[in-house]
Amino acid sequence: MTIGGPGAVGPGVNAVSTSLDAPLALSVRPGFAEVASEQLDAVYRYLVFLTGDRVAAEDLAAETFEKAFRTWRRFDPRRGTPRTWLCRIARTVAIDWFRAETRRRRREETYARELAAVGEAAFGEGLSAPLEQALRELSPAEREVVALRVLLELDGPSAARVLGISQTACSTRLSRALRRLEERIGDVRE
Amino acid sequence: MSASDVIGIERLEALLRGDAPRTQEESTRGALLSALRAGTLRAPERLRERVLAAAPAQRRIALRPPSRRLALVVVPAALGLAVAAALVHGFAGSGAKTVQHGAAAAPTVLRAKAQPPVFGAATGSGGAESAVPSARSGLQTQVAPPVGGGGGRLQHTEASLQVRVPDVSRLSAATSAATRIAASLGGYAQSVVYRTPQGGGGASYIELRVPAQNVRTALAKLSALGSLVSQQVSVQDLQHDFAVESAQIAQLRRTVAALQKALRNPALPDAQRVLLQIKLAESKRALAQRLHARTGTVASGTTARISLVLSTEKSIVPVVHHRGRLGRMLHSAVGFLGLEGTIVLYALIVAGPLALVAGLVWGLARLRRRREEQRLLTA
Repeated sequence: MTIGGPGAVGPGVNAVSTSLDAPLALSVRPGFAEVASEQLDAVYRYLVFLTGDRVAAEDLAAETFEKAFRTWRRFDPRRGTPRTWLCRIARTVAIDWFRAETRRRRREETYARELAAVGEAAFGEGLSAPLEQALRELSPAEREVVALRVLLELDGPSAARVLGISQTACSTRLSRALRRLEERIGDVRE
Repeated sequence: MSASDVIGIERLEALLRGDAPRTQEESTRGALLSALRAGTLRAPERLRERVLAAAPAQRRIALRPPSRRLALVVVPAALGLAVAAALVHGFAGSGAKTVQHGAAAAPTVLRAKAQPPVFGAATGSGGAESAVPSARSGLQTQVAPPVGGGGGRLQHTEASLQVRVPDVSRLSAATSAATRIAASLGGYAQSVVYRTPQGGGGASYIELRVPAQNVRTALAKLSALGSLVSQQVSVQDLQHDFAVESAQIAQLRRTVAALQKALRNPALPDAQRVLLQIKLAESKRALAQRLHARTGTVASGTTARISLVLSTEKSIVPVVHHRGRLGRMLHSAVGFLGLEGTIVLYALIVAGPLALVAGLVWGLARLRRRREEQRLLTA
């Protein structure tokens, strides 16, 4: 397991808060292409964590941005950052996907499309195998709160808004997810 | 004991912000966070190209103003429209039904017509007019208001006259003459107020009811009681009201007859009999109301109302019985605004429960969707 210092971040999307991550001034409204370019990695990673499936996450990310294009005029920078707004759209798209997958699974009775095989780095390069395995064993709801709070570094209120729950519930869910993650890592090591 | 049991939410938030761990458990948790953040995952290039390629094509999207800003425009616009509609209605309605003739404008506006001879013209007046001198102003000799020209239509006429007499003794005589004129034409004096204060001068206020067909004669005779200061006549057509009420009465009579016939059937079930009896009672009540209303309409159409003010030289009082055009316009506009308010209130009363039900349904649907989402994501 790769252990870094507290607060250490990787070089990817979660490295620093981008210029577009902070609440935008009233008069400043970036172009969509700029926002898409800045937030694509974050949204993609969030979807990977949520679905546990890179292929699906890629399709869902494309669908998310397509939907975001159509509703870009409605985006109000005063009500949140572009990242929060995009994550909310991504979540809606992903839930539709989960719904469709559940229906498909029921219809076919066998889940033909298994999650990425054990050993493959599904959630990102640079993660240790026990951590990958432990993440795989979390529920999508637990993985998404980890993605939003830890990887995408959304603050409590923003993450709660994306999840549609209270801030306390969001923190509790995160705490529980991290505890389970620690337990699973311990189990995998043993 | 697991780490989360000792790491509170505040400390977890602090660790997320990058604070240094204080305990062993916090160190473990911090290490986990670092490990998670150490992983990198970039979107594939093909996804980036796909997303960015679509962006320019979406630039021409119709501007949709935020709902709050839209409300700031729509609400005042709606209010302005309502007031404008009321003003237009008031302006249009101020002269539509009513024909008004102000004495001051009469000489130039109305077609001049010789005043019918007054003295000796009254039928059975007993020489009442002879008590009044033939002092005449320019007003007195010019118009015969266009009343009673409805061609058999039911019309309500209201008139206001202000006549000046030289002194108090003539005032008394003219007051008596006015009541006699009304009586001679088949009408009566509804009220007479006679005032002669100590300071000199005096006035009498007389409310007369005269049969509609005699109103022209009455006006001519009354205006001859002295110098005509002002004259105002309004005519309101009641034929339509009468026709509507008559049609309703006929319909209700047919309904009552049909219900009575149905109730005479001995084979009628009890429950249905009770229902029919209730309907019959309602119809009879409505019929009585309509009959009463029609009687009122007929009475209003067959009797003209004349407000006469007789005053001496020193006590000229304005006639306040009728409003001016501006007053009528404002009155009509305020009435229309009241009607609009009533409609809005009615719509709110009707739509309120529906909105409440819709809100409840929406809330329940949302709750259900949330639960389903939760179930999907925790599976």
